[in-house]
Amino acid sequence: MEGRKKKLHVFDVVNYIVFILIGLIILVPMWKVLVDSLNKVGVYQFQLWPSQFTLDGYRTIIETQALYRPFINSVITTVLGTLLGLVLCTLGGYVLVQFDMPGRNLFSYFLLITMVFTGGMIPEYLVMKKLGLVNNMWILVVKHGMNVYNLVLMRNFFEGIPSSLYEAAKIDGCSPMGIFFKIVLPLSKAALASIGLMFAVTVWNDYTTVKIYITDPDQTNFQYKLRNMIMDGDTPTTAYAVSQNTLFNAGIISAILPFMLLYPFLQKYFVKGVNIGAVKE
Amino acid sequence: MSKKKAVMTSGGVEVRQKPLKLRIWNNRGYYLMFLPVALFVIILYYWPMLGVRYAFYDYKPIGQPTFVGWANFEKMFGANKQAFLTSFFNTLELSIVRLLITNLSAIIVSIFLNEMGNLFAKKTLQTIIYLPHFMSWAVVASIFSLFLSPSSTGMVNGLLRDLGILGEADKNIYFLAESSWWRPIFYLINIWKETGWGTIIFLATLSGINPELYEAADIDGATRMQKIFYVTLPALGNTIITVLILNLAKVLNMFEPVFVLYNNAVYDVADVISTYTYRQTFAIALPNYGYSTAVGLFRSLVACVLMLLSNWASKKVRGRGII
Repeated sequence: MEGRKKKLHVFDVVNYIVFILIGLIILVPMWKVLVDSLNKVGVYQFQLWPSQFTLDGYRTIIETQALYRPFINSVITTVLGTLLGLVLCTLGGYVLVQFDMPGRNLFSYFLLITMVFTGGMIPEYLVMKKLGLVNNMWILVVKHGMNVYNLVLMRNFFEGIPSSLYEAAKIDGCSPMGIFFKIVLPLSKAALASIGLMFAVTVWNDYTTVKIYITDPDQTNFQYKLRNMIMDGDTPTTAYAVSQNTLFNAGIISAILPFMLLYPFLQKYFVKGVNIGAVKE
Repeated sequence: MSKKKAVMTSGGVEVRQKPLKLRIWNNRGYYLMFLPVALFVIILYYWPMLGVRYAFYDYKPIGQPTFVGWANFEKMFGANKQAFLTSFFNTLELSIVRLLITNLSAIIVSIFLNEMGNLFAKKTLQTIIYLPHFMSWAVVASIFSLFLSPSSTGMVNGLLRDLGILGEADKNIYFLAESSWWRPIFYLINIWKETGWGTIIFLATLSGINPELYEAADIDGATRMQKIFYVTLPALGNTIITVLILNLAKVLNMFEPVFVLYNNAVYDVADVISTYTYRQTFAIALPNYGYSTAVGLFRSLVACVLMLLSNWASKKVRGRGII
């Protein structure tokens, strides 16, 4: 008995050490960026606290007018893209669980084919060009507003709602829309939050779409602008005596700040979203 | 699955009584609700599918498309063979290795998380390791290119100097522009970003293991390591296979992670089909949309085969398809 207790103890110590190591591997790069963003001079060392504390990096970011439009574009497209995404995937998901509707299978195949075969980057580009969405920030809303994978997640969630609830409402003379708004949506708040967050993260973080479709600086988003600033030499002019490194790091922090602030409160919804898809058997 | 059947049969009694026309009419509300979805799917997915015909055309931004038969494909496997095949095999290698190592690290981390008795420590670590998943690839690439930068503020080069690995006479290493360094760095960044997120699905499985199994192992006098190897790991088997199968279908999709980290010095090890297509279209003076479409079509067809293969494998292993 003594021997086993000791063994468990050793394992626990090892586990705590591993935990700390993993945590450090994730956190050290982030902390380095944060500290560097607050340091007047650029240093290569990892510091726990900036050697010459300054907020001028952030002042420069806030005062750089070239960043205003991209930031506003990012906020607008994220909000609208998320709303459109939720509307389309709840509507589609709900229709796909109407098992006595003629053509339900046809609708499923209509959606699933898009997961198997796609036109590819160039045909998509040519279609968007025809629709006037090249050099237009609404491309972000349109492109991310329809996501078949999220629609299937939503359908899986709706399948879990007891069908007796629908039947009862139908007998009471409730219309499809009525059932949707009065029964289905209120029961799906958690799924809506999870899938809505997935949409929001996707749109906010999108860099590639902007890179492919947009050249007009007024139509770009925040991610694109910041990445250009850091990696492609589009450095903002600053009125303050701060190093270029400080500006770069302040830019990175600004790009992730919105989600980092919300993250602790929303984490459980993110995790739930993954499990809606995974746990269904 | 059983539930779906129950609904079908309970509806089936009604179905036999009502003619099809009436059933369609009764469901008119649902058809109306599907309309906006269908519209977006047609615009975003089906309309571009028509565009794949340009794979057989010579199509420049100026002038009319002209039919050229298989010429674009001949160029792919002829004049441009080397660049194209490099990108094709890079795609396979980069995404398969990435898939295997991020999942391997996710499995190891989830076992440690599962063994942790202290709930507070467990929750804290989970919160921390999920974080990088929510950073965009553009941000992650920016962070690591600052660390790996050959300039005087690059952390890695600075540390190598402090440790004496880089001497006075040596130049700073430009890690992301050296073929020998690019891939290991790419994999490490992927592990950093996606390990945490990958643990979610494994942890969900681990929390579903019947505790009686561990109790039985205790009675048999199993050590903790033995329990990990003979109870925990086998329970993960199915999930591991599922994750690998699900991702097989996406192997050719790799674009953004490479696109934000590569540069023209490392095309030999980093260029993937999508980045190659991108350059052939948006980064040359007079692009031939026909050729880029042909490359894209080839990619889509191989992806389609992989998708069907993974669907077939999924049906074999899990009893249900992935699509």
